[in-house]
Amino acid sequence: MPVTIVVPQLGESVVEGTVGKWLKKEGDPIAKDEPIVEIITDKINIELPAPSAGTLGRITIPEGTVAQVGQELGQILAPGESMPQGGGTKPALAAAPPPPSPRPFAPAPSGGAGAPAPAQARAGSAVAERVNGEEQRVSPAVRKLLKEHNLDVARIRGSGMGGRVTREDVLNHIEGSRVAASSGAYAPASAQAPQPMKTVPVPAFAQAGSREEDVQQATNVRKKIAENMLRSRHLAAHCSTWDDVDMTELVALRGRLKERVKATYGVNVTYMPFIAKAVVRALKEYPVLNASMTENGEIHFKRYYNIGIAVHRDSGLIVPVLHDADKKTLLQIAQEIEDLGNRARGDKLQLNDIQGGTFTITNAGMFGATASTPIINYPEVGVLGVHLIQERAVVRDHRIVIRHMMTLVLSFDHRLVDGTPAVQFLHRVKELLEDPESWLLDSI
Amino acid sequence: MTPPIAAYDLGRIPYREALEFQRRAVSARASGAASDAIYFAEHEPVLTVGRAGKASSLRANPALLRASGVEVIPVERGGDITYHGPGQIIAYPIVALSGLPAGRDLHRYLRDLEEVLIGTLDGYGIRASRRPPHTGVWVGDRKVAAIGVAVRRWVTLHGFALNVDPDLTHFDWIHPCGIRDLGVTSMRALLGAAPPRAEILARLREAFARVWDRPVEETPGRPAEREWPAPEEIHA
Repeated sequence: MPVTIVVPQLGESVVEGTVGKWLKKEGDPIAKDEPIVEIITDKINIELPAPSAGTLGRITIPEGTVAQVGQELGQILAPGESMPQGGGTKPALAAAPPPPSPRPFAPAPSGGAGAPAPAQARAGSAVAERVNGEEQRVSPAVRKLLKEHNLDVARIRGSGMGGRVTREDVLNHIEGSRVAASSGAYAPASAQAPQPMKTVPVPAFAQAGSREEDVQQATNVRKKIAENMLRSRHLAAHCSTWDDVDMTELVALRGRLKERVKATYGVNVTYMPFIAKAVVRALKEYPVLNASMTENGEIHFKRYYNIGIAVHRDSGLIVPVLHDADKKTLLQIAQEIEDLGNRARGDKLQLNDIQGGTFTITNAGMFGATASTPIINYPEVGVLGVHLIQERAVVRDHRIVIRHMMTLVLSFDHRLVDGTPAVQFLHRVKELLEDPESWLLDSI
Repeated sequence: MTPPIAAYDLGRIPYREALEFQRRAVSARASGAASDAIYFAEHEPVLTVGRAGKASSLRANPALLRASGVEVIPVERGGDITYHGPGQIIAYPIVALSGLPAGRDLHRYLRDLEEVLIGTLDGYGIRASRRPPHTGVWVGDRKVAAIGVAVRRWVTLHGFALNVDPDLTHFDWIHPCGIRDLGVTSMRALLGAAPPRAEILARLREAFARVWDRPVEETPGRPAEREWPAPEEIHA
């Protein structure tokens, strides 16, 4: 039976690592305890020893990819064993190389890859299950878990490669069933589907008509804002975390650039372009903040970075989108933010200007707020609130000094984003803003 | 039942030799041919780049460095670029993680190394501290000791570099560990004079013994390297 190589527990505070280098290739022979793959955490680089001897059957997680503790990295085949290819009920399919591994590994012991291998299936090594008539591979650990809990794999949504059901999916499914059973109210299927928004009758105002009131009909813009805000509040599990950022360096840098950029390019350099750039960098490191979850539980990690910038208008809030912010220079971003703001206030935005956002930044500091808890721009999963930059007394090296400080607040959808990545993401944004010179050179 | 850890002083040796030595020592420890040990050393000026190394962390012109005999060597430890040179105490603990209080907890291992350094510096009246999220040991905004570690077959290699009295201008060649807004310092800069190396080594041994709750024995000479197996290929 193939042995799964997983990211082991590497310490209480280590939740993930980057796959640095595969020291073996698929098909390479492996001795037990021989280093096979390198995992890089922040300051430690660890070479994982092989859990068993055999052949490296499959590399599941490629180099440069972040893997969570417990996640499968690859599989080792015992001598003479071949990678299971789905039980052989579909010879045509089975004859083709499996998609995750373009190279064929050790040939099957009998008859080649195209031959059915029912004996192997009975031996429990061909880990195939049927889902809606399609073969689905599951790892031995998952198979065991399914058996223990008497579950049908077809009823579980897979989050692995090609919809593969992972151990975590099974555990989540079990946990979900428990919640459903204990609350008695939800079936697992309907728990995920958003309910249509219910209209609630507005209670009569206690003193309606008895005091002077101005009555207006809400504009369509106001109705739309209300609908969006409420939908987000209903569907996203809002949670906020905040941190104070020392903006002194950035204040100085922007101060130096401001006049020159205005004179040369006619653009006002605010803090927003720097913040947008820092956010994009941090999003790349914490992709879950740039993701969305669909109603049926699919998580889309977006590899494009469209940053919504909330703009105040007298007619009501609007969030124009800075598209592909990762591909633009600071100067371009400064120009575009200014342009979007002007067009938003002049009601000249095109539909495309307000669509496709992946993460939003809102600046309540413009009007003097020192902190706020923004509402997520659903279906995005994170919104960063930036606030007033003000001189505050802070302690550095046992001394009280005056620094330009700003409070950053991140509201995140706790359904998809755990507290740890949320806090780490925010901390990363803080680090970047506190040390702009460390990254501006390669982003101008 | 706490087996002692042997502490050797390799003295001033070329970095490449120390690297080769460490790699053999790890194989020996992992196969059981050697027991846990800490190797202290000192190097000629050299820059080493860990797995998180970025080209932008090197400030000096590589050609100029080469011309002055300073090599830039990629190594398998974690972290970014760092400088080693005369006036530093380098420690390479080659120990099986399973025999430490931390067990296989990598972050705890780093924190333990920091604890050894903080305790040792405290003995000299230097109030050093951690500075999360950066690894290493700091006095205010300045780093007094750098840490970078690798683990192979659950045996540690690489370790820390404590700045006793190095030429601090050499750190201008790099952004140490890729961190730009923070500086470096040394025990000499902090105390006015550098304490004797032998005395610091003794205090480091005591600190290791305390933090790891294992006897650490000063051991003269070098280990029985001839009995060590050939190292496995290392991919740096």
